[in-house]
Amino acid sequence: MNVFVIVAIFAIVFLVAVIDLMRRRVLMEQYSLFWLGMGLVLLILSIFHQWLNPLADVLKIAYPPSLLFLIGFLFLFGIMLHLTVVLSRLTMRSIRLVQELGMVKAELKILQTEHELTEGDRHVN
Amino acid sequence: MNDALVIIPALNEERSVADVIRSIFSSAPNVDIVVISDGSTDNTANVARNAGAQVIELPVNLGIGGAMQTGYRYAFDKRYHFAVQIDADGQHDPADLPRLLDEARQHHGDMVLGSRYVQKTAYRSSRSRRAGMILLATLVRMAVGYPIHDTTSGYRVVNDRVIRLFSEYYPIDYPEVEVLVLLHRHKLTIHEIPVEMKERQAGVSSITMFKSGYYMLKVSLAILLEILRKSGVKGEARS
Repeated sequence: MNVFVIVAIFAIVFLVAVIDLMRRRVLMEQYSLFWLGMGLVLLILSIFHQWLNPLADVLKIAYPPSLLFLIGFLFLFGIMLHLTVVLSRLTMRSIRLVQELGMVKAELKILQTEHELTEGDRHVN
Repeated sequence: MNDALVIIPALNEERSVADVIRSIFSSAPNVDIVVISDGSTDNTANVARNAGAQVIELPVNLGIGGAMQTGYRYAFDKRYHFAVQIDADGQHDPADLPRLLDEARQHHGDMVLGSRYVQKTAYRSSRSRRAGMILLATLVRMAVGYPIHDTTSGYRVVNDRVIRLFSEYYPIDYPEVEVLVLLHRHKLTIHEIPVEMKERQAGVSSITMFKSGYYMLKVSLAILLEILRKSGVKGEARS
């Protein structure tokens, strides 16, 4: 049992979980691509971990598995940046919706008042 | 319908909003007023309606930028020629409003800014606050190329070109300073005229000691980003 086996098991469980969430439509496809990418890269690199050695040498990393963690970290940074972009977009959209709703409600109130007035007139006549 | 719309964002101000509306109508009878009730849980909307204002009730609180932009979007939809921003806490004197509107009607700038620093007025403020304002004024001057003395003034009249721009984009928080640079990028001009500023009558400044650091950081960053946006941003109105 070494660190690569643990990472490989984690990656498999993680990929299954992500795919299951997508299957049940809990996670939308456009937000799952990052996670699938990360899971696959970690899985492949933990199985073929000899690929890490030359790269670790080039980067002067004494302990090759830490390269695996670095790659995982970089993915997480990317995912979090993506999430805050999505969050900003959602915020802007919800502000726009609240504004439109407020304006529509104001318009509706005016129309209702006018309607009640004309109804009243009809009553008098 | 008049051609100028005064936008008043209000959050739970049932006790003061009617007085504000009355004092604006008595100084400037030829304007319409819209109160944006920004998720108020009290009777603000009804009080404002009874005082003769149009009222837009937002179902949740958006904060000052989102509420103000609602007013600009309303002004754009209803094709108002001018929109007015005035602080509802008694700092701004509605008696100056006809003068500001006149300046706007005579096309002296796309935005007319009521300023406390152009000439000596009775306004005084703390030293740290003045230092912050001088820093902001310097940044804005670097960004727009000409001096604007009172960059944080919230007493403003804008024309239809600015209304259109604001209905597309308006900063979410601390909008006053950022907006000046935004206008400059869209080749819209700012004209500053002196107004009397009173001490705040009710409530506290939205900028407390704790928030002032964040305020300076956010506003400076917003100005720098505006400078980087020279080429324009997707979704913004061309003016």
